[in-house]
Amino acid sequence: MATQNEYVIETEGLKKSFGRQVAVDGVDLRVPRGSAFGYLGPNGAGKTTLIRMLLGLTQPTAGTMRMLGRPMPKERSRALARVGAIVEEPGFHKHLSGRENLWVAAAAREPAAHLRIDKVLEQVGLADRADDHVSTYSQGMRQRLGIARCLLSDPQLLILDEPTNGLDPGGIQEFRGLVRAWIAEGRTLVLSSHLLDEVEKICDHVAIVDRGKIVAQGSLSELSTGDDGAITIGCDEPHKAFGAIDGSGSLREVEETAGGLRVLVMPDASLEKVAAELNTRLVTAGIAVHRLEPSHVSLEHRFLEITRRLGGDS
Amino acid sequence: MNTSESTVQAPQPPRLPFRLERAELLKLRKSYGVWIPTAILTVGAIVIFYLAVELFHVSNSAKYAPAGGTDKFQGALLLMGQVAGMIAAALVGAAAGTQDISSGVFRDLVSTGRSRTRLFLARIPGGLALLLPLMAAAYALAAVLSVALASGLATPSVALFAKSGLYVLFSGAVVYVIALGLGSLVGSRAATISILIAYLLPVQGILRNISALGRARDGLLSVAVERLSPLAPPDARDQLHMSLATSLIVLALWVAIFAGLGLWRTQKRDA
Repeated sequence: MATQNEYVIETEGLKKSFGRQVAVDGVDLRVPRGSAFGYLGPNGAGKTTLIRMLLGLTQPTAGTMRMLGRPMPKERSRALARVGAIVEEPGFHKHLSGRENLWVAAAAREPAAHLRIDKVLEQVGLADRADDHVSTYSQGMRQRLGIARCLLSDPQLLILDEPTNGLDPGGIQEFRGLVRAWIAEGRTLVLSSHLLDEVEKICDHVAIVDRGKIVAQGSLSELSTGDDGAITIGCDEPHKAFGAIDGSGSLREVEETAGGLRVLVMPDASLEKVAAELNTRLVTAGIAVHRLEPSHVSLEHRFLEITRRLGGDS
Repeated sequence: MNTSESTVQAPQPPRLPFRLERAELLKLRKSYGVWIPTAILTVGAIVIFYLAVELFHVSNSAKYAPAGGTDKFQGALLLMGQVAGMIAAALVGAAAGTQDISSGVFRDLVSTGRSRTRLFLARIPGGLALLLPLMAAAYALAAVLSVALASGLATPSVALFAKSGLYVLFSGAVVYVIALGLGSLVGSRAATISILIAYLLPVQGILRNISALGRARDGLLSVAVERLSPLAPPDARDQLHMSLATSLIVLALWVAIFAGLGLWRTQKRDA
């Protein structure tokens, strides 16, 4: 039975093993309704395997899943009726036209899906080539046709695995526009990617996965900041400034730079509050401060740091 | 304003019964690699058969009988029921069982939430909708030519025509389902066709001639199919005698085993 809760995907202890190799290792995932959720990880991290389990393409070894409030795989048909997905490269019957391929896909959906074929072709910019054989399509056009196929179900949830593969820069821009429109319509997007830049530009929530495990999960702002918030201080006497702030308990690292100092704050400390405290200390010490700038660490920095740290642990 | 708004009707979904089956037919009939060889092996085979026999007759009517009549119709029936027709059915069944997997579309169909059993079952009528009309056309052509080219020879009765037509369509449908099941099990069209052609042509022929196998040969597909033919084969020595009930049981087992294996694999396959 469906429950209208705040998460469209919930997994607990989800695991998939291939023999001795563990591809997905106890994943607890929460995808908030209406979010653009990035599932970010390096190649081979188990992203696609997780998506394949969510879609019922392969069976989990252990764990539980709920999709759109429905237990999986028990209510798989009803849950997936409102899900659109691209897993890896979308497959098509190349001897059929784009429109015919959508007709075949619509036949597996509710009858109303047939009414949406023209609209979705228009949405992805393939209306003019809809009656050409897919064998004549470029990779980018096939990717767009795959997105059109996702939209046939008028999905509440879109799951896209590396969707910008094969798209040219113009196509990527168009794709981002489409995604923003979907989110504005209240749909939820799960974007699996190894491209940090792509996730940062599209998503508002992120889970970072490495070697089958989720190593960080939260909103983009939470993950970008985390315990690595930094403050850049511009001042005339860096050495003296170093001494003035050295006693602060909010700092975990201070280094002198050419025009001042760069400090890293302690975990869970508010960057803004620490910046105010440092300003007070410096002014009290008679140091002229011309710049005091809290800076958020990029997701890329965070992603690389997490995955490198885990790599070093092994 | 309100009145006009209230009269606006939302577009109604099209009433298309058997949508999955239609989709299967669409995939097959748009594939030149499927329907052209199938047409050649059904209609084309009959055309070639009667053309060749008639040419012999025209070139030397003292030595060669006319192409029409019951005798040659029997040959055409053998061609459709047990040789070219079976291969045509194998081609279509193998394509129907493997095309979603080889194109990568199976994964997308499964991710719609539609039951895998339903996806598999839709392939049966979908493929038969391509195969049977071609077999029926070939049969109709053979029936017409057997009368038109008879030149005074005895021709089959209406009852024989009717029974023979049913036999051709039934044997084609049986081999189609077997090929579909094997294709769904193996996942490779080339492998499925190779296995079936090897079995239907040389292997089966060899096995039925090994008398040491005794009644075990009743389990051969060709033996069971042949029992249903309303006309005895041209060489009666080849015929192994079995009851009609045994023949139907053997064919039912062939269909059940291969369809069951294909369904099982479709349900369990990682998409």
